[in-house]
Order: sequence, then structure tokens, then C-alpha cells
Amino acid sequence: MASGQDSSGTTLMDLITSDPSAAPTSGSGASSQPPSSGGGGGSVGSLLGKPTAAPADRKSKRGTLMQIQNETISAAKALNPPVSYAQLARSIHELAATCDQKSSQRQLVNSVFPKLAVYNSVDPSVAPSLLMLHQQCEDRNVLRYVYYYLARILSDNGSQGLSAAGGIPTPNWDALADIDAVGGVTRADVVPKIVDQLSAESSSDDVEFHARRLAALKALTSSSTSSSDMMEKLYEIVFGILEKVADTKQKRKKGIFTKQGGDKESIIRGNLQYASMSALRRLPLDPGNPAFLHRAVQGVEFSDPVAVRHALSIISEIAAKDPYSVAMALGALQDILHLHDVLARVYLAKLCHSISRARVLDQRPDIKSQYSSLLYQLLLDPSDRVCFEAIHCVLGKVDNSESTEDRAGGWIRLTREILKLPEAPSVASKGVLSKSSEKSSKARRPQPLIKLVMRRLESSFRSFSRPVLHAAARVVQEMGKSRAAAYALGAYDEGATLQAYSDNAESLDSDLENPMAEGTRKPNPLSNGHGGMDTIAGLLASLMEVVRTTATPDMAVTLLEIARIFATKVPGKIDADVLQLLWKTCLVGAGPDGKHTALEAVTIVLDLPPPQPGSMSGLTSVDMVSASDPKSAMALQRLVQAAVWFLGENANYAASEYAWESATPPGTALMMLDADKMVAAASSRNPTLASALTRLQRCAFSGSWEVGPLQMTIPLLYVFEALGNVRIRIAAVQALTTIAIRSGEPYRLQIYEFLHALALGGVQSNFSELQLSNGENQGASGTGLGSLISPMLKVLDEMYRAQDDLARDIRQHDNSKQEWNDEELKKLYETHERLLDFVSLFCFVPRAKYLPLGPTALCNYHVLTRSMLNCVDSAKLIEIYRNRHNISASGGLSDPAVATGISDLMYESKEAQKETGTMQSRIDPDLAMAWAAGLEDDVWANNAPAVDKVKDFLAGAGTDAPDVDDEEYMNSRPSVGYDDMWAKTILETYDAEEDDGRYSGGSSPDSTGSVETSISSHFGGMNYPSLFSSKPSSYGASQQTIREEPPSYSTSVLQKRESFENPLSGRDGRSFGSNEDEDKSSGNPQSGKALYDFTAGGDDELSLTTGEEVEIQYEVDGWYYVKKKRPGRDGKMAGLVPVLYVSS
Amino acid sequence: MTILAVLFANSDGNILIERFHGVPAEERLHWRSFLVKLGSENLKGSKNEELHVASHKSVSIVYTLIGDVCLYIVGKDEYDELASVKDVCAKPPTERLFLDKYGRICLCLDEIVWKGLLENTEKDRVRRLIRLKPPVEP
Repeated sequence: MASGQDSSGTTLMDLITSDPSAAPTSGSGASSQPPSSGGGGGSVGSLLGKPTAAPADRKSKRGTLMQIQNETISAAKALNPPVSYAQLARSIHELAATCDQKSSQRQLVNSVFPKLAVYNSVDPSVAPSLLMLHQQCEDRNVLRYVYYYLARILSDNGSQGLSAAGGIPTPNWDALADIDAVGGVTRADVVPKIVDQLSAESSSDDVEFHARRLAALKALTSSSTSSSDMMEKLYEIVFGILEKVADTKQKRKKGIFTKQGGDKESIIRGNLQYASMSALRRLPLDPGNPAFLHRAVQGVEFSDPVAVRHALSIISEIAAKDPYSVAMALGALQDILHLHDVLARVYLAKLCHSISRARVLDQRPDIKSQYSSLLYQLLLDPSDRVCFEAIHCVLGKVDNSESTEDRAGGWIRLTREILKLPEAPSVASKGVLSKSSEKSSKARRPQPLIKLVMRRLESSFRSFSRPVLHAAARVVQEMGKSRAAAYALGAYDEGATLQAYSDNAESLDSDLENPMAEGTRKPNPLSNGHGGMDTIAGLLASLMEVVRTTATPDMAVTLLEIARIFATKVPGKIDADVLQLLWKTCLVGAGPDGKHTALEAVTIVLDLPPPQPGSMSGLTSVDMVSASDPKSAMALQRLVQAAVWFLGENANYAASEYAWESATPPGTALMMLDADKMVAAASSRNPTLASALTRLQRCAFSGSWEVGPLQMTIPLLYVFEALGNVRIRIAAVQALTTIAIRSGEPYRLQIYEFLHALALGGVQSNFSELQLSNGENQGASGTGLGSLISPMLKVLDEMYRAQDDLARDIRQHDNSKQEWNDEELKKLYETHERLLDFVSLFCFVPRAKYLPLGPTALCNYHVLTRSMLNCVDSAKLIEIYRNRHNISASGGLSDPAVATGISDLMYESKEAQKETGTMQSRIDPDLAMAWAAGLEDDVWANNAPAVDKVKDFLAGAGTDAPDVDDEEYMNSRPSVGYDDMWAKTILETYDAEEDDGRYSGGSSPDSTGSVETSISSHFGGMNYPSLFSSKPSSYGASQQTIREEPPSYSTSVLQKRESFENPLSGRDGRSFGSNEDEDKSSGNPQSGKALYDFTAGGDDELSLTTGEEVEIQYEVDGWYYVKKKRPGRDGKMAGLVPVLYVSS
Repeated sequence: MTILAVLFANSDGNILIERFHGVPAEERLHWRSFLVKLGSENLKGSKNEELHVASHKSVSIVYTLIGDVCLYIVGKDEYDELASVKDVCAKPPTERLFLDKYGRICLCLDEIVWKGLLENTEKDRVRRLIRLKPPVEP
């Protein structure tokens, strides 16, 4: 029992009795005292002469110890109170005998009784003294304690653990018996006495003592309910009192809300009503007893609000069992709507629910509608608590035993019913009521319930009170459940609710107008001290499940709104993964109209203010930033990053703008070369995409996440922020590129120009940094994006250049009226494939449909020469070529499944392979760098300059890589988990980097590698094909539905992330071990065979000879950690080898 | 609608007062350590009287820091009125004062939570009742 105290080293009694000025000393000497010393002759005298304050006896509480500083007796006693239980019991006895004296009373109240409260039960041996006090003492404070302890004796049913009061375990009573003046007193002896005395008192009609009467009654109710005699007695007393006080049919006092007013008699009656009703509430329910119900119904009319509350709670419980008789007995309850007591209104909601749902009352629709109306009015209650309870009731949720039918009915009610307020609601008076009357007047006209509820929830989610937030979240959860139930039964009529929902959607939209306001209201996101939000991710996840199973646009929008609020309020507690999945679910479920909203919700996260915006002004505050709340700052950054990524991946989907399905009339694109016009055109054509672009640009350029010049001057201090910012900016650039590739003109051009500008700035600062830091300092140089942007620009450059070439060729052909010959077509086709491959490295595009050479290349030219070639465009030309050469690789234009399916995503044809090779040789070294960390195949292996650059952190691992056959290329990497693993661990990686502080300064090549490794892996990590996912073969079949929904990334990102070792650099990056991975595979090491010779490029790598047998321990980032059966030439047994080199 | 436990602890995790209602003895130990752990993890640096919420299975927990005393209230299906227990309880700005007023606080609790049900939530009422005065003065 007392482990709480014991384990802490200081007992509660120590704390209480210790000198306020002195720290509670442990008193180890005292604890060595034999426990029997107190039990034996524990008189005060025997322990005298211990002037030190060593009051504790921790080992056993039955030892008596007394802290005595001097010999002065009674006065000193008050100051230096006894601390042992036996001593306390003795004191009570002694003082009870002299209870007429003021000093004894004072001592009892000030020291003895409070200390007795520390023990977890009260010994019956003190009962006689207490009873004596009860009879003789007149001091109210003493008496209050007496009632308290008497109640505890009554409630203590013998088994110590079950008493309500915790505390120090009470010593064994037997051991006390010999020191107890009264002798061995058992509970059985005293309880009847106590009960008699208390019941006599509670039945007395003496007005002067009615306060004592209340207390006695209260004490009586704590007696155990197991004995029927006792119960009978109690019922008798309670009903006796009610008989006298309840029957007055007089009107309730006008001044029920104001305490004053009313004559003495009625006040006393009110008090008695209160006491008896409270007592009745504590007694077991007696549903069959008409008197019980009768008294309870009378209680509704009582003047004491607490009494009314208890009456209602009794009635609502009876109503759950016997609604008919309750409904018949009850009168009007309208007035309770305005009762001051919150809980009373809560019970009213429950009561209304039970009656309005009762089957037995089907014959009485008037009664049912009366109670439903009352329930609906409670939705307007000023108290959130009442309102939420009412919503639960409307939804059909009371406990958790409701049937699906009930819940479904609840959902239908909520979505269909309309609240009509009765004329002139009996709004009583001012004060507390003014608010509610205001509300009701505002809501006078009939309102659909769903609208009321949604408004209420919305405002509740703005609350700063965590209990309210929590409760509101629960309400939403229940709504989801009810709705699911309705769907399950097919009872849900979409048409009927659409009206209500569109209203609701409006209000939500209007709410979206001021996201910034909300964001700034909590500029410093709530810190990590948020136990309250622990369950939010879980809540959202379960909500999402409901939405997913029964997805409709409306629910999705609502959910998004909630997710947004959570995201903005407590970024630390929400999982970026959960949020992303949520966004996606909503995006898919939200339908055409909801898409915009969904995207908005995402971008709002981008608008979140950076943590502690004011902190960048000085050094001192800088320290505070990182120290105060790095966790939540990190969480926020993650969220922003996730949002950026999500935008990039899904903006095109949301906007329904795809290059390959472009609505742009062919030929107009390149005419709009003026940037301003283009933006205008862009926004007029597709505002959703345009706004997404703007947001991303802001993020990429500087936006609210720019750290500023200080970042350069004190890079070390700012590593923390710098990393986060660079990450987000890089993510933004990535997203932009994806959008650019997937979008038609003019968006592509718009992004191209922007990236170009960004690259110029970035490159410049890179140059200026070059002398200092090798140009590798990503974190501290301008936008720091130069090296990352250039590959992306390269892609776009290539595309535009090829388009130009094509245009030129077409013109030439047109001019010379030449047919396209096979050679030319082949060249064109190769260019097409090459670009396609190139583009595919960045992001997924449906290969069969995507035309990197331009939508329908420059039809404006063809218009002139249509006679010659019927609408020659790249698509046509390529198709001609394909047809001639029977290239089926990506020729599945007629078959959408194939066209968008996995087969298209792979490098299949020899041509493609060759082209890829030639393309690679022209790639900017920077580009290679950007993906090298994630790629260890021939993509960069052929590229000598790139290797030079990346060697620093890849240790030349891939230089020996031979050209891998296509088959191998695809098949040797069956594992998709690798990407997932990255996704799961990438964020941890960042944490680790920051935590161990080794990512210092960001000026070493290692750190650059680290950043890029992480980033590229992050983007690959969503199991989404891009430049940064190492292998196109891991796309998975999930990509097949590209046009139906946004690219689905594996749900495994939701899996719990495991702790993860930090890939500090490129080299380490390959040798880090994932716990998870190891767990997974170390159990059963696979055996494999070396397919090729491999020369180790680093210390942790292992050379292989073709045909060598190895044991695969685990896979990490495209590498196997393998063990050989015997040492190789270099004497090494185990090490890393590229996955491709080993057949598993 | 029941309050399962009310628990006061000091900042070191020592339990000062605990009241359980209908919690079996063997579960109390679990609750005790759970709550103290919850507080030590989340209450550090939180504002005075800032309410926190946690859910554990089907019950919700409202907890807060008052002065240097942590207060935990465990209840079923309730949210904000759990917090009202806090409002009515004697406000101990320090642990010392809390201990000095130990008896009073026990009585307050006795008036506020009666057999596991929330009883009186008005400050004045509680104040009167712990001095054995009727809830409404004649």
C-alpha cells in the first residue's frame, strides 16, 4: 500500500511533521528503532530525552515515536505532535475526555485529526472516543472531523485495501489493543453504536442542529451496503426526511439562482432536501419501488441545484430501465435547461435520451418529441460538457453497449433533425443565463442539428483547454462510429444530408480563411509537455479508418479540418506520417470540390510560423531556442517537410493538371513567354495548382523558414536550424520539380524560371563559399540549393532542348517536304526514351502517356504543312517508329493497365539501357552527387567526374561496378522494404545527427553527403519512384492506379519507427545498421552466391569472387552485410557488398 | 460518471493524498506509479494550473501542477468537471502549506467527492460544509 511513500525515502508523515524550515530529513537513526518499542510501553516519558527531530519510523508504522523538544506538556504537544498511530489514537482518547476545553479542541483540530488522516484506515478503537466527542463536543471543526472519521470507520469494510482513502497503512489493530485504553474494540462492536447514534441524530428535527443532521446522514451513507438491515434503516431515514421536506408543493423559489432570498424555513428545507437526495443517490437503486421514483421526481422540483442534479441522475438511471413510468411521472423539465448546475444538465441530456428513444413510448409521440426537443436544445448549452453529452446522446452513445441500429439511428438523427426552439423559451433571468439566452435568441430560427454540432465542435477545437479539446476529439470519434454504423446498415441517405453538409462545408471553408490567425495565436507551438495529446495520433488514425471504410467527401473535409487544427496546435504530438496519410485519404475521398480544401489544409502547415520567430535577433536568445524546445521545433519541421513533399507529389492530382492530359490547347504554350502573363494565365486556368506553386516557391526561396544572415556568421550555433531549413527548402525544390515535370505549360515554364533564378543565387553563394568550405556547405550558403537545383534544371533543360530540336527537325522536314525516315524516327524515339528515363528518375510519370518532347509538339507549325504530314508530333512520330519496329516495351497505349502499370516503369528495352548510359555521361556531376548517395548502380558508375566528386563519401565503392545486365538490374532487388525502412528511419536519422552534434558546421564533405543521403532517401522512402529512390524496380504495382488517385505510397510508413543508427556520412551511411532490419533478418541468415567479382572500395566492404558462397546477415541501404565461409584473399570474413552482386 | 481516483503528489513523486473509489487494491499500485510517471514526464515546465489530459484505456486523467504539488484526477467519461475538483480544492501554493493544511484538504476532498461521485463544486458550499455549516446558510 505504502510503496509510494516507502520508495521515495521520506514518508508522508515525515513530510508533515517535519519542521517547515528544515528539510525533511531522512532520520535513518530513527528507522533502526525496534518497532516494538512503541507498542510496548510507549508512554511519552519513555521516549523522552530525544531532542533531535527524528520522527520517522519507516520500517513499521506501529512503533511509537514522539518528537519532543522540551518537557512542557500540553502546549508543547500542539507544536510537537505525536506521529505514531498509537500515539494519535491515545491522544484522541485523552483529548476526548477533556473536549470541553478549548486547548484540547484546538489540539485535536490542528494536529491530531489532520495527522490521523494520513493513515489509510481508521481503527475502530478510536470510535468510542469519537462517539464521545460527537455527543459532548460542540466545536464545529472538531465535529466535522468526527463525522469524517466515523464515516471512514463505517466505510472500512475490513479489507484494508478497499477503503477509499490511501495513505500509510494503518498498523495492526491487535498490536494496538494493549495500549488502547478501551481495550480490544472490534469493528462489529462499534459500528452498530455509530449507526444508532448517527441515525438518531439524522432523524431529529431540531432546527438548530440541522447542519449536524446533514453531516450525520452523509456519514451514514458511507456504511457498507451489504447489510440489508442497514439499508432498510437508511431508506427509512431518507424517506422520512423526504416525507417532511419534499412534499411541499409550493413553487420553487424565484431566487434559485441567487443564494439569498427566501425565508429561513425554506432554506433549511432546501438543505435537508439536498442532504436526503444526495443520500438517496448513494443508496442502491430500487427501480421497482414507486416511492423511490416518486421521491426522485419530486427532487426535480427542489430548490437546491445539487439536489436536482442527484434527482435527475437517479431518474435517468431508472429511465434507462423503465422509461414508461418515468415519462408518466415526470412533469415539465424545461426549467432545468437553465439550472445552474452543469452536471444536472448533463443528466438531463441522458434522461431525455432514454425517454425519447424508448420503444415502449412509441404510442406517445408527443412525449418523445418533447424530450427530443429538450435534448436538442441542450446542444446550445453554454457548457461544453453539456453540449458534448447531448451530442453523444443524439448520436445514440450513452455507454458502449448500444446496438449498431441505435448508432445508425443516431447518425440519421444528427444529420436530418432540425432544432426548432419553442416559442418564447422560458428564459428566466440574468446572470448565468444571459449567455444561454443570447445564444438561443441567435439560434431562434430552426437550425439543422449537424450545423449546430459542427459549429460547436469548431469553436471547441479552438479552445485552449485541453480537457475540452480532448472531449471534442472524442465527440468526433463517436460521430465517426455512428456514421459508420449508419453506412453499415445502408440506412444512410446521401441526398438527405447533402444539404446539411454543404452548409457545414461552407462554415469550414470560411474557417479556412483565417488559418494564419490561428497559427499566430499560438506562435510557439505547445511544448512537448503534452500528455494530453498523446492519443491524438491514435484518434486521428481511428477516425481515418472510419473515413476510409465509408469515405465520402464531406466527412473527409471535416476530418481534414480537425487534422489541421491538431497539426497547428500540437505539432509535436502528431505524426507526420499519420497526417500525410490523412491528407491523402481526404484528397482521394474529398471529390472534386474537396481537393482544393485538402490542398489548402496541407499548405496551411507551411504557413506555420517557425519556432520562436523572435529568437534570431541575438545570441542569448539563440541558446534559448535550441534549449527550450528542440523537440517540438523538430516536429514542426518534420510536419512542414512532410507537407512540402505531399504538395509536390499530389498537387498535380489535386489540380487535375497533368502534362499528358493537358487541357491547354496545343501550341499555345510556348507563345506565352512572358512570365507575368504566364502566371496570370496559370492562376486563371487552375487556381489550385497556381496557389500550391506559390506556396512552394515561397518555401523554397526563403519564406518564413529562412534563418537569415546569422546563419552564415555563426554556422555552428545554427546547425540545428540550418539543417532543418535546408531540408525543407530542398524538399520544396524537389516538390517543384515534380510538379514541373508532371504539369503542362505554362506551369512548367513558370517553375523552370523560378528554379533558374534560385540556382543563380545559390550558385553564386556557393562560389563565394567555395574558398572557405569547398563549396559543400549546404547549410550555410545562401539558399544552399545550387547543387541540388542544377540536376533538376538539367532535366528541364534537356526537355526544352529536345523540344527545340524536334521543332527544328519538324520544320526542316516540312520545308523540304521530306518524309521522316527510319533513322530519324529512331533518333527521335531514342531521345524520347532517354528523356523519359531521365524524368522517371525524378518522379513517376505514366511512361506510355508522358511526352517529354512536348504535349503535341508544336502543332502550330504543322498547321501550315498539314497536307504533308497529318499532324506530325512527337507522339505520332514515336508511335510510327514503334509500330515499324514492333517495340512493345512501352507501347501499351491501348491497354491502360499496361500503360500505367509496373511494366512500363522498368528499364526493359536494350535501347533504353543504352540511352540511359549515354544520357548519364552527360549528366552534370552535381546531379550525380545528388542521387549517388541513394544509387549504387551504373547510373553514376559510368560517370567518372561524378564519381570523383562523390568518392569522398562513397569511398569509390562503385567504381568497379560492372555494367549490370538488365535482368539482374530488376530482379536482384526484390526487396521493397528497403525504401520503407528509409522512410521510417529518416527522421530518426536527423534526430541522431542533431543530437550527437557531429554534424558540426556542415562544411565537411561528409556532412554534405549526409544531407543528401538523407534527403534522397527520404523521397525514395515514400516508396515513390523518383530520382531519389534508388531503383525503379521497387515501384511496386501500387502505381498502376496513378490516374485514379494520387500515387499511393506504402502504408508501411505508418509502421512504428525504430531507433536507428545514424548514417553520419556517405561511408558510414552504408554501414549503419537498422535494428529493425537486423531483427528481421539476423534470425535466419540467408545464403547467397556472388554473381560477380567485387573489389572492396572501403574498409567495411568485402571483396567477392564470382561464385563465392556467402551468408547474408542483413540488408542496409542497397548493401548486404555478408559473411564468408572462409576468409578471402584479403583475409576478411565479413563486410558489405552491393546487393546486386549477390544472388539471394 | 465516477471519479476513480484523486491523487496529490509532490514534485519528487511522493504521494501526499490519495483517494480511490472502486479501484481494487492490486490496481492501485499500478495507478500510483502510472500517474506519477505521467506527471514527471509531462508536468515539467508546464504552467501553473495548466490542465493536461491523458487517456488510459477507458478512463481519462486530468492532471495539473498547482504550486509544487501535482494533482491527478482519474475519472470515467468526464473531462472538464474533473478539473473542477481542482478549482475547489484548497489551493496549495507550496507543498509545505499543503502539508500544514492536510486535514482541511482531506475534508474538502470528502465534500467534493462523495463515494466516487462528484458532489459539491462550489467553493463557498465546500467551505461551509467543512466547517459543519449547512450548505446554504439560513
